[in-house]
Amino acid sequence: METKHEPEKFIVSIGPQHPALKEPGHFEFTVDGEVVTNATARLGFVHRGMEKGTEARNYVQDLYLMERVCGICSHVHAMAFALGAEKLAGVQAPPRAQAIRELVAELERIHSHLLWLGVAAHEGGFDTLFMFSWRDRETVMDLLELISGNRVNYSANVLGGVKIDINDTQRDALHKGMDFLEERTHHYMKVVTEDETFLGRTRNIGLMTKAQAQLLGAVGPTARASGVKFDVRVDSPYAGYADFPVKLITEPAGDLEARFVVRINELYESYRLVREIIDHLPEGELSVRMPRRIPEGETISRVEAPRGELLYFMRSNGTDSPDRVKVRTPSLCNWASVLTLAVGHKLADMPMILAGIDPCFSCNDRMVTVNRGSNAENWSWEDLRKYGIAYYK
Amino acid sequence: MNISINPIVALLIFPGGLCLLAYGLVYEFVDRKLIARFQNRVGPRWFQPLADFIKLLAKEEIIPASVNAALFIVLPILALAAALTAALYVPMFGLQPAYSFSGDLVVSLYLLSLMTLCIGLAGANTGDRFSLVGATRALTQLFSYEAPFLLAMLGPAIALGTWNIGTINSAAAHSWWFMITQPFGFLVALIGLMGKLELPPFDAPEAETEIVAGALTEYSGRGLGIFHIGRDIELVIGLTMISSFYMGGLSSPLDFLWKTLVLLLVTALLQSLFARLRIDQTVGMWWRVGTILVLVQLLVIIGGQYLAPLIKPLIGG
Repeated sequence: METKHEPEKFIVSIGPQHPALKEPGHFEFTVDGEVVTNATARLGFVHRGMEKGTEARNYVQDLYLMERVCGICSHVHAMAFALGAEKLAGVQAPPRAQAIRELVAELERIHSHLLWLGVAAHEGGFDTLFMFSWRDRETVMDLLELISGNRVNYSANVLGGVKIDINDTQRDALHKGMDFLEERTHHYMKVVTEDETFLGRTRNIGLMTKAQAQLLGAVGPTARASGVKFDVRVDSPYAGYADFPVKLITEPAGDLEARFVVRINELYESYRLVREIIDHLPEGELSVRMPRRIPEGETISRVEAPRGELLYFMRSNGTDSPDRVKVRTPSLCNWASVLTLAVGHKLADMPMILAGIDPCFSCNDRMVTVNRGSNAENWSWEDLRKYGIAYYK
Repeated sequence: MNISINPIVALLIFPGGLCLLAYGLVYEFVDRKLIARFQNRVGPRWFQPLADFIKLLAKEEIIPASVNAALFIVLPILALAAALTAALYVPMFGLQPAYSFSGDLVVSLYLLSLMTLCIGLAGANTGDRFSLVGATRALTQLFSYEAPFLLAMLGPAIALGTWNIGTINSAAAHSWWFMITQPFGFLVALIGLMGKLELPPFDAPEAETEIVAGALTEYSGRGLGIFHIGRDIELVIGLTMISSFYMGGLSSPLDFLWKTLVLLLVTALLQSLFARLRIDQTVGMWWRVGTILVLVQLLVIIGGQYLAPLIKPLIGG
C-alpha cells in the first residue's frame, strides 16, 4: 500500500452562471476551510467579435457598434472611438460639443458609480443599501434620458461632435437632480465609513499597497484607492477636460473601504463638474464636418472610463472603414489585482473583492488571439462568423 | 385562555397542523413585506408565500445522482415534523399549550434545533461544493448561537423556578415583563432566533452571492418547499416563545397577535439594517458578546435567588 496521498484540493468554482455574477465569468477558488489559497479566472464567455466587426463597417456604423461594447459605460467607448477617428482625420470637435461630451461622461460616471455601490453592497449582503442606491440612480438615468432620449446607449456622439444640446429646462432638471443626488451621497458616505457591520466587511479587506497596484497594473478607482496618482482626465485631458478640469481623488489606505470612499468622492467631483459645465457651456456649433474617408495613419485614444483607463488603438488605411481597432478596457487591467488579493482571504470576502474593481465582463471579452504555434492566422470577419457557428453547434 | 380541544384536532388542524402552516405563511408575508417597505420596495402581495409554496409543490423534484435518496427525501419532512411538534408545547395563539409536561422547554428547544441539523445534513448529503460549504457554515453557526440562545431562554425559567412552557407563560403574566428585568436575555434570545432562522445579517450559511443557496442548493420542488414552510413555522414558534417568556406571557389571541407582530417588526428592522456577517464574525460575536452577556445575567438571577431570602427580612419584605 504505497499510494501517495496528495492533500485533496477543495475547489469552489464560481460561474459562468452564479448569483454573484451579473455577467458570465468563471473563477476557481481553492479553499482550505473558508480561507482561499489560490484563485484563477477564465474569461471570454461573452466574446462577440466586435473588434473584427469594426473592420467590416464604416466609421459611422462603428460608432454605434462601439457604443455597445459595454452596457454601463457606453458613452466613453463611443467618445474614445470618436476622438480617435477625429484625431486621424485631423478634425477638432467644437468646444460646445467637447463640453457636452464631458457632461454626458460625468453623468455616466455618476450612474456607473451608484450602480457599483449597489452591486458591491449586495455582494456584501447589505441589500438595503443596494435598493436605496439603485433607487437614487434612477434620478441620473432619467436625466440622461431627458438630455439624450435614451437611458443606456445615449448615442450622444457623432464623428466630429455631438448630436444633443442642453436647453434651459434640461439645465434646471440637471441642477435639481445633482442637488438631490449630492444630499443622498452624503448619506451613503456616512454609511460606508461609519456602519459597523459594513466596515467589518470592508476595512482592511483586500489590502493592496501602492507598489502592488503599480506592479499589477491596476487602473482607475481601484488604483487610486491605493494612492496611485493616475487619472487620464488629469494627466492628459481630452474632450472638455482641459476647460473644465477635474480634481484627482486618491485614498492611501488601499482596502475595500478606500475603494468605496474614492468612488463616492468621485461622485461629489462629478456633481461639481456637471454643475460647472451646464452653467458655463461654451456657445457655438455642435459638430463639424467629418470626411467619410479617413487618411492613413494610426493613433491611440485614451479616456477615463468609470472603471479606469480605457484605451483605443486605431489604424486607418485611407478607406471609410478602419483597418484595425483594438480596445483595452480597464477591467482587463484590474483582474490581476483580484486574483492576487484573493489569496489569504475568506471565501465570504470573494464577492466583495471581486466587485471591488467594478468588473465588467462584457467589456473585456472581445478578441481572443488565435495563435497556434507558428501558423498564426489572420481571420476575416466571415471566417470568424463561421468559426463561431461551428464552435457553438 | 383555556379551551379544551380534541387532541386529533389540536394535532392536525388547530392550533397545530394546517392552522400553523397558514400562520407561518402569513408571517413570512408580513416579514417580507416589512423588509421590502424598509428597503423602499413594493414587496409581495399577501398570497405570494402561498403561491410560492404551491408552485414548489407542483414542480418536479430533482434528486441528484450522488445523494442518498432516502435521506434526501426524509430530511425536509423530518425538519417540518420537528417544527410542527414543537408547536404543540408552546402557547400558540395565546391558548394553553396543547400538550405539556414538566421539562417541555428543553424538548421544544431541541425540536427547534432539529431544523438546522436537518439542513446541515441535507447539505452534507449532496456532493455539491456550495452545499458542503453551506452545511459547514450552518452547523458552525448552530454551535455559536445555540448555547447563548438556550441560556437566554432558561433565564425566565430559572427565575420562575419551572421548566414548563405553559407554567412560565401564565406566571410571566403576573410579574414584570422579563424584557425589562432581563434585557440581555431578551436581546440574545431575539438575535439568537434570527441566527436560528438564518435571517440577515446571519445569512452566511445561505449567502447567495457566495454559495448560491447554501446547504439547500441541490433541493428543488417539494423538498425545498417543505424546508421553507418549516422555517416559516419555526419563525412563528420562536416569536411565540420569546414573547411569552419575555413580554409578559400570552393570555389571549389578541395578546399573541400584537406581541408577536411587534417582535416581527423588530426583527424585520434588524434584518434590513445590517450587512451580512462573515461566519467567523458571527461565531466571534456570539461567543465573545452573546454568551458572556447571558452568563452574567444567569449568574445574577441565580445569585439573586439565593440572596433574596437573606435580604427580604432585612428590608422588611
